[in-house]
Amino acid sequence: MLYRKSIWVFHLNTGGCNACDIEILDVITPYHDVERLGIKLVASPRHADMILMTGPVTREVLPKAVEAVLAVPEPKVIIAVGSCACGGGIWYDAYPTIGGVESFLKIMEEEYSVKVKAIYVPGCPPKPESIIYGIALALDMVKQKIKRQVYEEK
Amino acid sequence: MVKRLRLISTAKRVGVVTRPYPFRPTEVPEEFRGKPIIDGEKCTGCGSCRNVCTPNAIEIEDDLEKGVRRVKIFYGRCIFCGRCSDICPEEAIKLTKEFELASKTREDLYQVIELKMVKCKICGKPFTTERSLKKTLKSVPEELHEQLYICPDCREKSTAYIESYTKRR
Repeated sequence: MLYRKSIWVFHLNTGGCNACDIEILDVITPYHDVERLGIKLVASPRHADMILMTGPVTREVLPKAVEAVLAVPEPKVIIAVGSCACGGGIWYDAYPTIGGVESFLKIMEEEYSVKVKAIYVPGCPPKPESIIYGIALALDMVKQKIKRQVYEEK
Repeated sequence: MVKRLRLISTAKRVGVVTRPYPFRPTEVPEEFRGKPIIDGEKCTGCGSCRNVCTPNAIEIEDDLEKGVRRVKIFYGRCIFCGRCSDICPEEAIKLTKEFELASKTREDLYQVIELKMVKCKICGKPFTTERSLKKTLKSVPEELHEQLYICPDCREKSTAYIESYTKRR
C-alpha cells in the first residue's frame, strides 16, 4: 500500500474541455461523497499526495504543469482522468498538444529526472464511479479488472 | 438552536443519500456505452472500424514476416462513441456496460486480435486475411476464383499484360 493516511488530491486541468472536471465535482457531492474514504481536494500542490490530471497537456500549459508536479512531495502519483489525459484523445497527434500523460512522464524523467507513477482512468468523460474506482485502485482497495487480451486465430 | 434541532428531524426523514459504491457494485443505465469488445471468432479484419474511429483508437497493422494481421484497440484513447459497433459488417464489435477500466499500466488497456493472412500465388506476399477471402469467394462466380488468390499488385500487372496483348492483335 502506498499511503497509510487519508489522501489529499490536487486537481490539475491541462487544457481539457471541462467535462472531466464536472465529473470530478460530482465525485465530491453527497451523492458519491468521496470524503468518506478520506479523499479531499486541496488548493495547493504542496499540500497534495496525488494529482488528478485532466486534458491532453497542451504546449502552453506544459511548463506550468511541470512546476505543479515538481511541487508535489514524493511519492508522486498522477491519476490521468479521461481519454485525453490517458492517451491524448482525439488530439493525440495534433501539434498544440504533447499527447497525454505518457509523453509527460517521459519529459519528467528525461529533463527533470523525476519518476512519476501514473494510473489510467479511461472514459470520455469517465463516470464518477469509475473515477472513484481509479482512486481506490491507487489505494489498493480494489483489484484491477482490465487485462491485456490477445486472441490468436487457430 | 431550535432551527438546528429541526434540521436533525429533516435529516432523519430524508435518510442517507450516499451510494456505497467501491464496497458494493452499482447499476448502470440501460443504454450506457462502456468498453467496446471485439469478438475474435467473428472479426475478418476488413478495417471498416479503423476507418470510422475518430480518435484512431483502433489500429490495424500487417506483420509480413509472420503473415498475421493485428487488429489493436487501445481503450486509453477510445471516446466510447460506438461508431465501430454501428459500422461493423460482421457485428463483431459490441459495447458492453463495463466502466471500471482503470489500470496501473498502459499495456493492460489493449485488446489485440491476430488473424492469419493469405499469401499471393505469384509473389508470395501476404495481402488479405483468410476469413475475408472466404467471404468474397461466396459472392464471386467460380471461374474467377483463381484471380482472388493473387494480390492486387500482381493482378494489376497480369490484367495490363492481357489488355496490351489483345490490343496488339
